[in-house]
Amino acid sequence: MSKTSVIYDKFERHSHGEGLKGHATHYCPGCGHGLAHKFLAEAIDALGIQDRTVAVSPVGCSVFLYYYFDVGNTQAAHGRAPVVALGHKFANPESVVISYQGDGDLASIGLAETVATAQLGAPITVIFINNAIYGMTGGQMAPTTLMGQSSSTSPSGRNEYNGQPMKMAELIAGLDGPVYVERVALFDAKQRIKAKKAIQKAIKLQVEGRGYSFIEVLAECPTHLKMTPEETEKWVKECMEPVYPLGVKKDLTVEPWFHRNAPCFKGEKILALTGASTEHPERFCKGFPTGLDLNDVSLKLAGSGGDGAQTAAMLIARAAISEGFDATHIPSYGPESRGGTSYADVHVAETEVLNPGSPDPQILLAFNAPSLAKFGPTVRKGGYVIYDSSVVTEAPVLDPSIKVFPVPFTGIATDLGKAVVKNIVALGALQAATNIFPKDTFLGAIRVALKDKCALIPLNEEAFNWGIKSVEALDQ
Amino acid sequence: MALKERPKPFLLPDYCKGCGRCLDACAKDCITLSDQINPMTGLVPVELDLTDCNACGMCMDACPEPYGLRPAHEGVIEDFELEDPAKLFGVKPSEAPEPTDIPNETLPLPRTEPLVIKGTYASAVGAILAGCRHVYGYPITPSTEGAELMAKFLPKLDGTFIQAVSEVAAVNMMYGTAGAGLPTMTFTSSPGFSLMLEGVSYMIGAELPGVFVDVMRGGPGLGNIAPEQSDIKLACHGLGHGNTQAITLAPSTSQEMLDLTILAFELSFKYRNPVILLGDGYLGQMTGKVQLPETMIKPGIPKWAVYGDAMHRKNLISSIFLTESDLEAHNHHLNAKYEAMKVEARAESFLCDDAEVVLIACNTPARTAKGAVQDLRNQGIKAGLFRPITLWPFPVEELKAAIHGAERIVVVEASAGQLEDEVRLALSKAGVRQFPELENVRRMGGVLPQQSEIMTRVLGRKEVLA
Ligand SMILES: Cc1ncc(C[n+]2csc(CCOP(=O)(O)OP(=O)(O)O)c2C)c(N)n1
Ligand code: SF4
Ligand code: SF4
Ligand code: SF4
Repeated sequence: MSKTSVIYDKFERHSHGEGLKGHATHYCPGCGHGLAHKFLAEAIDALGIQDRTVAVSPVGCSVFLYYYFDVGNTQAAHGRAPVVALGHKFANPESVVISYQGDGDLASIGLAETVATAQLGAPITVIFINNAIYGMTGGQMAPTTLMGQSSSTSPSGRNEYNGQPMKMAELIAGLDGPVYVERVALFDAKQRIKAKKAIQKAIKLQVEGRGYSFIEVLAECPTHLKMTPEETEKWVKECMEPVYPLGVKKDLTVEPWFHRNAPCFKGEKILALTGASTEHPERFCKGFPTGLDLNDVSLKLAGSGGDGAQTAAMLIARAAISEGFDATHIPSYGPESRGGTSYADVHVAETEVLNPGSPDPQILLAFNAPSLAKFGPTVRKGGYVIYDSSVVTEAPVLDPSIKVFPVPFTGIATDLGKAVVKNIVALGALQAATNIFPKDTFLGAIRVALKDKCALIPLNEEAFNWGIKSVEALDQ
Repeated sequence: MALKERPKPFLLPDYCKGCGRCLDACAKDCITLSDQINPMTGLVPVELDLTDCNACGMCMDACPEPYGLRPAHEGVIEDFELEDPAKLFGVKPSEAPEPTDIPNETLPLPRTEPLVIKGTYASAVGAILAGCRHVYGYPITPSTEGAELMAKFLPKLDGTFIQAVSEVAAVNMMYGTAGAGLPTMTFTSSPGFSLMLEGVSYMIGAELPGVFVDVMRGGPGLGNIAPEQSDIKLACHGLGHGNTQAITLAPSTSQEMLDLTILAFELSFKYRNPVILLGDGYLGQMTGKVQLPETMIKPGIPKWAVYGDAMHRKNLISSIFLTESDLEAHNHHLNAKYEAMKVEARAESFLCDDAEVVLIACNTPARTAKGAVQDLRNQGIKAGLFRPITLWPFPVEELKAAIHGAERIVVVEASAGQLEDEVRLALSKAGVRQFPELENVRRMGGVLPQQSEIMTRVLGRKEVLA
């Protein structure tokens, strides 16, 4: 068979299909791309997958592959064809996706995409045309150019300063992702038959969902090798083949595995994932805590990673929102994501938090001495400072209008047998010291946050109550 | 149809490039190079003498041309006369069916209590409600949590989250999925967005939808991970090479991170063009109150998609227009589309009606500015805030209305004047020449303008004027 039903009856996309261009390829006489196209088209035909196939064309001489193939066509950026192919495959796992690429495209600019896609192992098929040179841009050195081979960018021959030729089939076969890797050639009838079979097999493995396959085709570029097509065939056989030995590099027998269900669009499932609830939370506030501010209370929580400042901040925001107010929480960590400093800015507003930062908070909850020293002086006149007196032994001198509450967060938590609840002790202290929300508002927020770890609720409630008690003890 | 006898080869000399690859394929020496140049092609085709031909087919397998050596079937013209190929082979390039739209479905959701979640999460949830099940990304602070949430949720929804090898790979996976006609998105931050721009240009050229959530951070270079409005210029004027433009949305609350993500998907399909959502480091990390909508989308497949099925076989996704006049026409088409996008301009004006001092800001700085406006009003100063929600197209009509009667305009931003440049450009393009000198409050490097700085700027000038 020479012309398959996969090849368009007329090359409409090629100069609008006029004249000879309606039926002749744009490739130079003797170019290997044409043969590889024919074998690919025959494989698609033989497997009966014309209606499922998406061919991804690269940048390079075969950029116009879509002129010829009557299948779904996508043209990709230089080197990116394999990942474009993945995008198609994941969009429709039933589709058969073929990434067709030259050596500049696949082995140079797109090397990262090539290797990563192969290693991912998703069943796509890569047809790699290795003609040892850049075609489209005019005969520059490719990663596959042979040692000593001259090109327009290796005019006196490729030498050691340009590195060695890249053996892609071996490299890809060395990865765990691919199931089938073979190198074939086009220079004689025997090789052509093998090439045809290999391409068909590679695609069949995809159709069966078995995995990624890669066919490297040693192809002729008579134009840039500056030889006749016949000489080029000979050159590929005599010069390329020794460097790029033909044959199967990897052929695994694996069970089909690439089964993917259609994506789910069930509302309940999505809402359950987000944690959204249709249940109206109980409200305990009589109104906005105007005693602190008319419409916007600004807090800062500061400590080191592990103190639980962010969790406490989140609980305050959650409590406020369940009461129908607006709230924001901005975390800020030191460059070390663990164990470094950890600050949180929290705002609670009656209707809308206008400015979510807390550069001059009304309330500071400090979990250690450096935090107290850093942020104590930023607290507004008439504000509140609540700190862990278990770890801060000397309190800094603050404006006399500021109400200061030393509470042994860590001590209480340790006595309760779990040091991590010190942030809940701090919340209890915050409640008692400022009366920002009623006790039940906080307890409600704590229960919601622990709904998956119910066993911890009594301990947390106890910690919260101890926070309240220690502030009350200070009053007396 | 199985032929009883294998066919011998047949050749239209006009479709032979004279490469000679068939010559040595034939063991019977049936094929020779002609010595006549074919005037139609300027090439020297081969000549067939099939006396000894045993129809082995080797020559046909060696010919790289689909319409080169072909099997001669019954009825094929033996003596070739140049005819219109349309007459010879028919005009229909493909027998595939005409693609049609499979429309989206809108599904109801029960009314839920507000969520308390951070901005990137809100955006991720928005994307899921907009029907997106294909997310590709590469981790970069401060956008990472969005990708993390997708990695957690999508497998449970039989969707796909792939951590790509790089941003370059991520955007091209989006290109593939978008080409298949499905909603797709990514989360990134400034250095990552820079890397994606190659792909964005291709997506615009190939007219593909896709949503880019860029949680901007400090630059240039690696800069830092703190909030800066460092990519306004990039999004509004620098989306890769060529004539590119994309609707650019600038949320300023967690709620808007959700709402505008949903809108971004809608607009990106409406115009077959990427949409950029520019957040900032604060917005990405900030937790706030987020009300979910009462509907969600189950996407269909648009008629232009290359889905990989019979219905869409005809289609092509490509940004190539090799003929100069074709590319010019394509760019005119894109320009017309960009022009049509102008109706999507959106802005919020807060207390601007009687404002003497108008602050202009977007993203988190807009919230700080809003706080300042409230404070200034409390002090009896007629201040207002103009907040562009689309940075491109810039809401210039709304801006004109907001600054009408203003004595002062103060642009508040976390960048070296990127927003101010947008304001100037928009006013200039709209032919507005008379407006108060633009003042500014600018911070960079991850430092955000503070409310106190805005107050000082506004009040300080007031005293000087008095
Ligand atoms: C980002 C980018 N860099 C460079 C190019 C220019 N370019 C076009 S084709 C090509 C080489 C293609 O060579 P190869 O992949 O070997 O394919 P061939 O033409 O040999 O079939 C290059 C470098 C481009 N289009 N895009
Ligand atoms: S330049 Fe080389 S690879 Fe390109 S079409 Fe011509 S022969 Fe083929
Ligand atoms: S079919 Fe065989 S014998 Fe006949 S021309 Fe072709 S290669 Fe020669
Ligand atoms: S292989 Fe095909 S194109 Fe080349 S000379 Fe033979 S018939 Fe002509």
